[in-house]
Amino acid sequence: MEQAPRDPERQLQPAPLEPLGCPDAGLGAAVGKEAAGAGEEDSGVDTMTHNNFWLKKIEISVSEAEKRTGRNAMNMQETYTAYLIETRSVEHTDGQSVLTDSLWRRYSEFELLRNYLLVYYPHIVVPPLPEKRAEFVWHKLSADNMDPDFVERRRIGLENFLLRIASHPILCRDKIFYLFLTQEGNWKETVNETGFQLKADSRLKALNATFRVKNPDKRFTDLKHYSDELQSVISHLLRVRARVADRLYGVYKVHGNYGRVEWSAIEKEMGDGLQSAGHHMDVYASSIDDILEDEEHYADQLKEYLFYAEALRAVCRKHELMQYDLEMAAQDLASKKQQCEELATGTVRTFSLKGMTTKLFGQETPEQREARIKVLEEQINEGEQQLKSKNLEGREFVKNAWADIERFKEQKNRDLKEALISYAVMQISMCKKGIQVWTNAKECFSKM
Amino acid sequence: MAGGPKALPSTGPHSLRDMPHPLAGSSSEEAVGGDSTPSPDLLMARSFGDKDLILPNGGTPAGTSSPASSSSLLNRLQLDDDIDGETRDLFVIVDDPKKHVCTMETYITYRITTKSTRVEFDLPEYSVRRRYQDFDWLRSKLEESQPTHLIPPLPEKFVVKGVVDRFSEEFVETRRKALDKFLKRITDHPVLSFNEHFNVFLTAKDLNAYKKQGIALLTRMGESVKHVTGGYKLRTRPLEFAAIGDYLDTFALKLGTIDRIAQRIIKEEIEYLVELREYGPVYSTWSALEGELAEPLEGVSACIGNCSTALEELTDDMTEDFLPVLREYILYSDSMKSVLKKRDQVQAEYEAKLEAVALRKEDRPKVPADVEKCQDRMECFNADLKADMERWQNNKRQDFRQLLMGMADKNIQYYEKCLMAWESIIPLLQEKQEAK
Repeated sequence: MEQAPRDPERQLQPAPLEPLGCPDAGLGAAVGKEAAGAGEEDSGVDTMTHNNFWLKKIEISVSEAEKRTGRNAMNMQETYTAYLIETRSVEHTDGQSVLTDSLWRRYSEFELLRNYLLVYYPHIVVPPLPEKRAEFVWHKLSADNMDPDFVERRRIGLENFLLRIASHPILCRDKIFYLFLTQEGNWKETVNETGFQLKADSRLKALNATFRVKNPDKRFTDLKHYSDELQSVISHLLRVRARVADRLYGVYKVHGNYGRVEWSAIEKEMGDGLQSAGHHMDVYASSIDDILEDEEHYADQLKEYLFYAEALRAVCRKHELMQYDLEMAAQDLASKKQQCEELATGTVRTFSLKGMTTKLFGQETPEQREARIKVLEEQINEGEQQLKSKNLEGREFVKNAWADIERFKEQKNRDLKEALISYAVMQISMCKKGIQVWTNAKECFSKM
Repeated sequence: MAGGPKALPSTGPHSLRDMPHPLAGSSSEEAVGGDSTPSPDLLMARSFGDKDLILPNGGTPAGTSSPASSSSLLNRLQLDDDIDGETRDLFVIVDDPKKHVCTMETYITYRITTKSTRVEFDLPEYSVRRRYQDFDWLRSKLEESQPTHLIPPLPEKFVVKGVVDRFSEEFVETRRKALDKFLKRITDHPVLSFNEHFNVFLTAKDLNAYKKQGIALLTRMGESVKHVTGGYKLRTRPLEFAAIGDYLDTFALKLGTIDRIAQRIIKEEIEYLVELREYGPVYSTWSALEGELAEPLEGVSACIGNCSTALEELTDDMTEDFLPVLREYILYSDSMKSVLKKRDQVQAEYEAKLEAVALRKEDRPKVPADVEKCQDRMECFNADLKADMERWQNNKRQDFRQLLMGMADKNIQYYEKCLMAWESIIPLLQEKQEAK
């Protein structure tokens, strides 16, 4: 488990507080070690909380969703959903949990938290939020954000988001995250005070810009390529799955029409058999609702990784950005050195405006030349220092980012395997139900 | 009596010529349709002497008859007419479709194999080839010569829906099954199976030559009904026949609904299949991107592929086996309704003539022969029809039981195939893979 990187940018953030204590995700012990390390660096550590960490586990849940009305920034009435976040600490000894914190947050606050994390942990694959608007819906599902099913699935998604952060060895220690769970009022102001917003804007711009990097780390290039492909394939999968669900719904529901045909009036012998078989067809038709509801859970699991792919891509882009920065700085330094050399030796190898004007308007005085050389030498010094630190920064980033990427890969493989298994289990259950219904119907027919 | 259907307790076999026909003459003991004991001399079998077959137009020898037109006789025979190997003496199979390409046309023939111990057949076994139009010919001949009976339907002549390939394996097989059913239904019918045209159809080497001869082998009933004038209007259909008519109407309606529902289901299933066929391969595409997940994803892709194939088999079966039988029964009900109408005509004529006689005072003491003929005709018709209706109801129940159980089976099999596919990949998904 790596140390928190000494990213110069991190100096802007509030000193990391003592570790929160992470939900037991198999990382408890490892985090403990990390916590010890962090505890040593920090000042003003609350020793009680620090000591308590070793004994406590934290449980986080987003337990409720509530519709609220309020006034937005433009003083217009709006309706939104608020989510109740409850934090419990669990005593190791007896396993009892005690509610320690409880507050309400809305989706936009979750977004704010995530954006903050993106800025301050650029080398981390930051867990994604559940989708803002319902996408990949098939006809029965509502695309309405206020729809209770959507709200419910979002509640689960938000809880999952918080659990992901809490189980991340680095992110779980973040103070802003801790405050998100514990400080209802004023939290937004606290976040904004970190000044992350400004950095966010510039970063976002940079991430979206196109630029060419000469020597990127091949691993990151490949990874970016992978994340693009992953996004594309999961999107495709979700789209088709939605269509499949739609069609399957149709197949099941149409079977219900059989039950509506009245036979007992005209058929003396066949009537009973046909009527009771019709009843089984009704059961069959109504079974699809639950089946597809379960399948939505699978779709949500896929969606999480669709969005995770975006987070992965962001890390790769960040590397590219740093590398580009580095290359530009190196280039700039090289050209300055060259200029200096030319001035010193008097040879002009490269075209420069100064050179042209010199030619046109006459040589400059030796004093002027000396001054310029001095300025350049200063700049060169500065540049060399900057280049050194950028190099260091870059290498640190690559090391730490790659470590988190490896962690992420393991997590992804585990999670997706689980998702596929549960999907297969769902299919098996559906097949068994189908066999049951048709066997029942067959029996009714046999008695005709 | 070897080879023949169970003879009634009788005083011994009589030749046809000795037997008085119930409709011939005015013999009172041969009352038909009543509870009177039928003449024990009426036998199911009749001998096909060569000369007997070729009938001059219009002439009907006294001996030839539509046997067993007595309803109680028929009832008794029906009780014995169980479909089991013991009592059956006529077996017909339709198989081996073959395509014939000629200069003028291309068509399919089917092999008809007949095995019988009946006296009416010279050889124990026959094998002939027939095409659809031969079946069509047979059916019209049967309708013509046995108008008081319900003739089974043929599969549709023309395929209207979509662009169906008349020579595709599926179409030919579906048709073959229907033609086989058609002949089997005739075979099972105590009266129709003895029809002359049917015999020729099963046995003649050159059916076309026989067709050309334009033999009007009409049974007495056939002849009789043929001459019924259609101008009379029936005042009221007797309750029992009205009930049959109503039943057939409602039955056909409901069957039509079931047919539409089944078609809709198949349509939805096919659309579902289209999506599945796109869905499965996406997992394969994903698999190519992954390391540890490659095998699990590929496994899911293959699984969905298997389910798709199973679904295709289900929809094919429903289209080929389920729908055609439903349609057959709708056609059956339609043709039965026409027979009912014919019966109405016969009754109408009788009632009209009876009324006319009642108005003419002179002939009061004795009922004129032609009115009596009408009455007999009507009563015969009623008897035949009722008997056939009962047989039809019974067979219908068996047919539907079999059809619906078959449909349920196909669905069960589909789910079983899918279940197997998904269960088999669970271990693959759970496998702990070595780090690649």
